[in-house]
Amino acid sequence: MLAAGVISDYALFGAAAQMRYTEPVATLDADVLVAIPSGERLDVLGPIYEFCSRKGYLPEGESIRVGVWPVQFVPVFNELTVEAVERADTPHFEGVPFRVVRADHLAVIALSVGRPKDFTRILALLESGSVSREEIASLAQRHGLADAWKRFEARFLDG
Amino acid sequence: MDDVKKLLERQALWQKGRKSLPWPEKIRIAEGIRESILQIRGTGPGLEQDAEVLRRRRRSS
Repeated sequence: MLAAGVISDYALFGAAAQMRYTEPVATLDADVLVAIPSGERLDVLGPIYEFCSRKGYLPEGESIRVGVWPVQFVPVFNELTVEAVERADTPHFEGVPFRVVRADHLAVIALSVGRPKDFTRILALLESGSVSREEIASLAQRHGLADAWKRFEARFLDG
Repeated sequence: MDDVKKLLERQALWQKGRKSLPWPEKIRIAEGIRESILQIRGTGPGLEQDAEVLRRRRRSS
């Protein structure tokens, strides 16, 4: 997709990315942040669906099935997710380089979403030692989430 | 009560050990967990397809 110009960048995030740092966790799908070349289309994911269909990867609900995994493509939607993709790591997955969102961005994206399972993700990342409270605080501050981080600390870390 | 505490401590130790597994191995474990979740739910789009892909993978490994 990168080579074909359908997307300009991508990075795995969500639970599958979290597992780089923590123990395995239950998840039903794989989430991929995508940066899409600017255009006039309203259906920003249309080119991705068309490209995948041509390759034999078919839509399934809001996802596209790749092997056993439904893959959900999520266009970058704010400065935080743009930065998360730009600064993603490129580890090798069984010999194949693969873009993956870093632990600090995973934690702050989770903070911004704010569901119970996102809070669990932040705690797991902290517990794994892959990111520190100070790093999360700094990134949260830069993206207007300082208050959300203070509330998280008061609720889960300083009690 | 002590037995329960020891059980939880052993479980925590085991979970911590799984953190150091290679990432691809953890993804494979997550695939297994996912298969179990889908089976427990009993339904779900693609369940048969999932099961067939997993069967093929196991045969080829």
